[in-house]
Amino acid sequence: MHVPDGFLSGGVAALTWGAAAGSILAAIRRERRAEEPMPAGILGSVAAFLFAAQMINVPVAPGTSGHLVGATLAAVLLGPWRACLAMSAVLAVQALIFQDGGIAAYGANVLDMAVAGPFVGFAVASIAGRLVRGPRGAVVGGVLGGFAATVTGATLVAVWLGLSGLYPLGGILPVLVVSHVVIGLLEAALTGAILVTLLTWRPDLAAALAGPAARRPATMAAGVFGFAVALALIAGPWASTRPDGLQAAANTLGFADRARAAWPALAAMRDLPWARFVLGAPGMAGALGTGAAALLAWAISRSLAVPGDETHR
Amino acid sequence: MRHTARPGTALAAGLAASVIAAVAPAGLAGGSVPVTSFAIWGTVLVCSVVVMRSSEGSLSPAIRRIVWLLVPVLLLGVTASLLVPRERRLAVGAALLLRSLASASAAIATVAALGPGGIIRGLRALKAPALLVDVLHAMLVALTAVARQIAAMQRSRSARRARSAPLAALVTSPVQSVTGFGRIAGALFLRSVERAEALERARRARGGGGA
Repeated sequence: MHVPDGFLSGGVAALTWGAAAGSILAAIRRERRAEEPMPAGILGSVAAFLFAAQMINVPVAPGTSGHLVGATLAAVLLGPWRACLAMSAVLAVQALIFQDGGIAAYGANVLDMAVAGPFVGFAVASIAGRLVRGPRGAVVGGVLGGFAATVTGATLVAVWLGLSGLYPLGGILPVLVVSHVVIGLLEAALTGAILVTLLTWRPDLAAALAGPAARRPATMAAGVFGFAVALALIAGPWASTRPDGLQAAANTLGFADRARAAWPALAAMRDLPWARFVLGAPGMAGALGTGAAALLAWAISRSLAVPGDETHR
Repeated sequence: MRHTARPGTALAAGLAASVIAAVAPAGLAGGSVPVTSFAIWGTVLVCSVVVMRSSEGSLSPAIRRIVWLLVPVLLLGVTASLLVPRERRLAVGAALLLRSLASASAAIATVAALGPGGIIRGLRALKAPALLVDVLHAMLVALTAVARQIAAMQRSRSARRARSAPLAALVTSPVQSVTGFGRIAGALFLRSVERAEALERARRARGGGGA
């Protein structure tokens, strides 16, 4: 999901850098004002763990592998704001030292994985945690949150690439969302498997879900809003055959023809009989993926055995 | 050359070169690729190669990193250039490839010149938020310990295993792969956090305050 340098336009890079910087500064300010700030050493250790876990690739399909992003895992363990800080540090080291994700694209990568990931994952995990109580709720929430965060991140990547003029949004969105449904299931499964191990030995580590952030309406609203925007983008092609907002604006301002001329492949694709199916694929993949993630959450959470807690067996 | 006298200036220059190369127009908005863009990418590439060579004495580590980067760059660049009109396809494809490689080369050269420690000093000199730099510093320090722990866990895992598991086993038995990964990663997380907590307790016991 890391966007390398050279594929975002200057405007998109500046916009995403600004939004990412604002988010990181807000996370820092919140951490400074916290009653019990987490020592930088512990945050750094969590970041180092996330970095190491991201380097282990698991085959998803023949010829394709995926890896844990860890945004939801971090959010469930640390809370969304601290997860934002830890993920920002991971992405900074990846961009600066390993060139995994670009420097101009750092803002976009932070918004995808360090802001949208933790907040959407945490919001979904908190809601699931209210429905299923106890450590099992944390596992169910982590699994569902991991899936939602990955799909939301992929949607944002498609938006940045589309806004940069690299691909038409209607073309890149289905490709990224459908492929990330599979990767999202892997993220969900890995998040759940790690949480099962952690909660078996240190149930206190998932305290963030029972903390004040899980009850704060603004945090929850930000996460739910992010996921809702992603859902709207994914389900858009199913909802209406009328031109979307961007197309309507292009028609009104008179540059729709120019945009079509710049992207002849997509213009030609719209005339094909199977185009409707391709454009509807993200919605279908999203629905199937959500069902699969729910099954996964149920199955993984059943393997959790907390000593002295019979209700989770 | 890992002890640059002005890490802040060196870091700012490296980052600026990388960003300028990354946002130079590549013809995606229509029209031809500006000659100035090619001049920027060429200059950044040549300067990066010179810095890498003088910093590390050899270009092979940098070339290895660029080769790793080629996979996502080609995946994004080739497919994007297929979407532009045929007459501009080659120019836009070449521009995207050059733009990405020039930008990455500038970042690689910056790291080669400064090293991880120099980057931390540079970020402090540039007045980056102290907490974020502290977390970055702690992360880089912890990475060494985490890498050692991974090596130790892999050693003990392979010692317990009767036969080596082929890569195909990951595809044929995904459930075992995922649960196995979960156990290893969970144990790794616990070790990392408990080590950090122990260090923090020791620091406080010696009189260290704050976060």
